[in-house]
Amino acid sequence: MSDWWAACRAGMRLQTQQFMKGPLLIVLTVVEALTFLALVSLFGLTGSKAPTALVVNDHSPLTASFVQDLAKDHDSFRLEPTTLAIAKQRLAAGSVVDILTIPKGFGASVAAGRTVVLPVTIDNVDTDLTDDIQRALPAAIQTFGLQHHFNGIRLAPVEHDLLSYDTAYVPYLVVSALGLDALVVAGALGATAMAGEWENKTLVQWRLSPSPMSGLLIGKLIAVVIVSTLAVWVAALLVFFGYGVHPHDAVGTLAALALCCVIFTALGAVVGNLLRRTLPVAIVFFGIALPLYIDSGSLEPERFDGHWLWFFGHATPVYAAVGVLQNTVHGLRVTPESIPVDLGILTLWALFSMAIAYLILQRSKAVR
Amino acid sequence: MWGRTMRVPEAGGWAVEFNSVTRRYGKRVALDSVSFVAEEGSVLGLLGPNGAGKSTLLGTLCGLQTPDEGFVTWFGQNEHVPLPKALRKRMGVVTQDTALYGELTVRQNLRFAADLYGVSNPRKGVKEVADLLGITHRLDDAVGELSGGNQRRVAIARSLVHDPDLLVFDEPTLGVDIETRHAIWSHVRLLRNRRKTVVVSTNYLDEALALCDRVLLLKNGRLIEQGKPGEILARTGRYVELDCTPEVAQAAFATLDGQTEVEGLSVGESGLTVRLTGSADPNRVVEMALAVHHIEGFRVRAPDLLEVFQSLDDSLPQPQLTDV
Repeated sequence: MSDWWAACRAGMRLQTQQFMKGPLLIVLTVVEALTFLALVSLFGLTGSKAPTALVVNDHSPLTASFVQDLAKDHDSFRLEPTTLAIAKQRLAAGSVVDILTIPKGFGASVAAGRTVVLPVTIDNVDTDLTDDIQRALPAAIQTFGLQHHFNGIRLAPVEHDLLSYDTAYVPYLVVSALGLDALVVAGALGATAMAGEWENKTLVQWRLSPSPMSGLLIGKLIAVVIVSTLAVWVAALLVFFGYGVHPHDAVGTLAALALCCVIFTALGAVVGNLLRRTLPVAIVFFGIALPLYIDSGSLEPERFDGHWLWFFGHATPVYAAVGVLQNTVHGLRVTPESIPVDLGILTLWALFSMAIAYLILQRSKAVR
Repeated sequence: MWGRTMRVPEAGGWAVEFNSVTRRYGKRVALDSVSFVAEEGSVLGLLGPNGAGKSTLLGTLCGLQTPDEGFVTWFGQNEHVPLPKALRKRMGVVTQDTALYGELTVRQNLRFAADLYGVSNPRKGVKEVADLLGITHRLDDAVGELSGGNQRRVAIARSLVHDPDLLVFDEPTLGVDIETRHAIWSHVRLLRNRRKTVVVSTNYLDEALALCDRVLLLKNGRLIEQGKPGEILARTGRYVELDCTPEVAQAAFATLDGQTEVEGLSVGESGLTVRLTGSADPNRVVEMALAVHHIEGFRVRAPDLLEVFQSLDDSLPQPQLTDV
């Protein structure tokens, strides 16, 4: 056992020295963690409110009330009051997606119970925002009608929340993004560390020496785990203090992120040992990161995304990682599996990946 | 100083014995029933063109590859791959690729090797091998910044850091300058003086002559000759180059053709090349030519590697010489 520990220390010292020789890599690793956080934040922030030119030709109290309901409609409109001429120019220039015109006599007609036509001109270059407007406008009209007790409206929703608190979209996204960070940072570093050994043909030293290869491998990966965990913790601190997300269990969150880094480093070692070139491993991790992120319950619990997506989500550890992280940060249970089960799955992934990485090294005839 | 503290192995016996070792890659036979021994405290040279099976032989010797047939013994023990730790500790290997961490310093590379082999005082071990190889002043330089020759020295230092009894060098002087080449030769000689066993593959005949107690000649996985370098050269015979015009060369060809000392003749642009039999006296051949022709100059030389192989293996093409 002392031989094994000695090998482990040697592997760890080797990788640490390699990191220290390239401090830029560590800096870029932290930057990488932050840019992925920015990426998903932007994903949540962009496209959520349609820039709408509002042309108001009526100035009654009911019109003012309707405009207020439009403005309050959840994440739908960014209203920009203007004249029809300017609105047309801006629609043509592409700075607004639609023109909503409130016609003269709107208030009087509504008060008299007459149906009012609301002209909406839409730039349907991308149906995403078009769909949003098509959904949001009737919702605003319904709110307006309920508020003023118009005749004919006989249904009113009454909401009963399962949880005593709401979790906003961006705070939800950025927590999942920490899981993505762990995948990209730890996975790419683990893969690069091992692929570098193949690329430089230095593995032959390992093979020839009397040191246990498992000790060398694990020692090297421990150094990778430490660096990637620190990088992801920096991103977590940004989430806590920059985004104002107050973690339900801060220590648990940091521990869960460390566990994620262990798993993804081990997965990275598998990929590095299979590809054996440093350039492809980076491409692989950047390529798989976003699909795995989206299919892991990162935007909403994966069980709401349909049977097949949910099924495939289970095939990756990112799903369980997001489940654990949403629990430690927001106190949510986003997977039907319990948190201990998610943790067990993550632990099994780590052990399995490490075993595969070791077997590839041990059995490869290319280590000559 | 490493030289003072180096452990000297017990005298006598064989460090390595190959017994009818065959190794195949699919249908290709890389080693074909190869048998030889490397005596302890000797330098064994492995000569052969590219693809002869040298790397496969060295890989098998290091325990990186398993023979398909036959067996190998190390220090009298018949072992199987993966080799036991105790045996690995007795071996030091320099691969063709050097296998160094280019971004790390020389010291860090040597320290890692010391850690791998469980050297009890790694700091001292690193210093000793660095002193021995003359790289102490480069210990804190990144290996990637060193010249090819110095990288070879580092690789050799790394193979020595755990004081092994058997050293395996795969083309250690490949691509190095003449000064480094001679420095490496002197290190190998020092190792032999310390009764270390060295197995070295090379493409250079002069290297084998300068270093090796015995040489193995490999071709297409077969061992076609083995023995002391001098004996093999004696069997091959020396060469005499006669400088003259092509016309004189043709005339001299006729004069020397059929002489008992002459194994082969070749007329070229600059004169006549004469391959002598192993025991022939070159002076007599030169005198015969000078007696009847205008020869501008002459030189006697040893054969190069290709010529040795051509003389030992009749199946090789022999475009240079017309056999008599």
